[in-house]
Amino acid sequence: MAHSSSPYGARRIALACFAFLLVALFLFPSQIQGLLQYLGGPIGYAVGVPLEAIASIDAGIADRWERYVALQGVREENQQLRKEIEWLRGQHSQLRESAAATERLTSLLHFKEQALPTMIAAQVIGRDATNRYRAIILNKGESDGIKPDMGVVTPAGVVGRIVKTTGASSVVLLVTDPNNAIAGLIQRTRDEGIVQGTQQGLAQLKYIPLLSTLRDGDRVVTSGLIGDFPRGLVIGTITRIDKEEGALFQSAEIMPEVDIGRVEEVLVIQTSYGQSTKAGMETDLREKPAP
Amino acid sequence: MKFIFYVSLVLLLVPLQTTLLPHLSVWNIKPDLGLVAAALVGLFAGELEGLLVGLVIGWVLSLFSAGELWLILLTNGGVGLLAGFLGKQVSQLTSISLGVGILLVSLATGLFAAMTFKGLDMSQTWWMVQSIVFPQACFDGAVGAGFYWLLSRRFALTRLRTE
Repeated sequence: MAHSSSPYGARRIALACFAFLLVALFLFPSQIQGLLQYLGGPIGYAVGVPLEAIASIDAGIADRWERYVALQGVREENQQLRKEIEWLRGQHSQLRESAAATERLTSLLHFKEQALPTMIAAQVIGRDATNRYRAIILNKGESDGIKPDMGVVTPAGVVGRIVKTTGASSVVLLVTDPNNAIAGLIQRTRDEGIVQGTQQGLAQLKYIPLLSTLRDGDRVVTSGLIGDFPRGLVIGTITRIDKEEGALFQSAEIMPEVDIGRVEEVLVIQTSYGQSTKAGMETDLREKPAP
Repeated sequence: MKFIFYVSLVLLLVPLQTTLLPHLSVWNIKPDLGLVAAALVGLFAGELEGLLVGLVIGWVLSLFSAGELWLILLTNGGVGLLAGFLGKQVSQLTSISLGVGILLVSLATGLFAAMTFKGLDMSQTWWMVQSIVFPQACFDGAVGAGFYWLLSRRFALTRLRTE
């Protein structure tokens, strides 16, 4: 079973390597991590081959299972209708947001034409390698123009934001992860707050003003002020309001609009509406003659 | 030959961990195959190989996780190194003792990770320990013991040992 051999040289080398790594990470944490992340770019291509192959086999098996075990016709029709409902929900929310915005903007003289955000479609090929984060892996990466902090959505609403990229894949931190924060807005009352994930897999709208008249069932959408999300994308619906005595703000529990556990295809927002408009405004300002 | 084996191991670990294991998760908890692999390599190939393979596994897995790179790198590398050291002190290894060893190591690394999580209060840290760290450690121990049992039945395993 065991044979006696004691390579003390190897032991010293191993200890020295580990000590060196610890010291290097302690002294130059961001540089070392940046370097390893940079070197990981090409590694992503190599790992991406078996990853995509297994993901496609997995998707194929799941697809066949759904087709043959369930009632074929009814299942497909149901899926089609669900997709349609999701799309219509997204449209409905966007239209409500547009109506509210139109009312406010009609009084303004310098109304800017809305530019549609540029999006990249991507497939979900895996989940976070650890249990400590709620994240998904996409089959598109740096080579497709995806960068950290870009927003990720489906027609139904917000999914999360990109936190890491390799050459051929990217990691999306979900809206239900406690480490994620997105600027949100209650659609009816127009009160703003920060949407953060909870450990139970839901989301929470924090820092809502105490005088806000929010209620259960109110929709929360992106405010478009911070990050790479355009204004008006659905995040979720308020299910519970927490108002503590003596607190400066109130908070609300949100049920995310997107079924995070079943998401298969997503859209990555490359250029949001806010950025397009901002760019447009800058161009306009440059074009205007100096007084 | 060994190099090809290690490269294949690293390349296969990522799809297994990120694509297939989520289907086999219990209460949304899946075992950390990277940690189990680093421990087994350290045990059978010694501390230096355990450390190096653990570091590479940690690095590659961190590219497919939202987690901090240094944490996954150090925990996997450290587990490979520790398994190499401890493996040489044990004369008769059984799948149960290996399972318990991996459980303890996974628990230690999980606790370390929970402590380094930013913005968690005491109750949230405790929730994380009881609902993620401890179940995962049990899962890791069981998977490690299962692998060892399978390997020892199939192959004549040899380990490095200090006299």
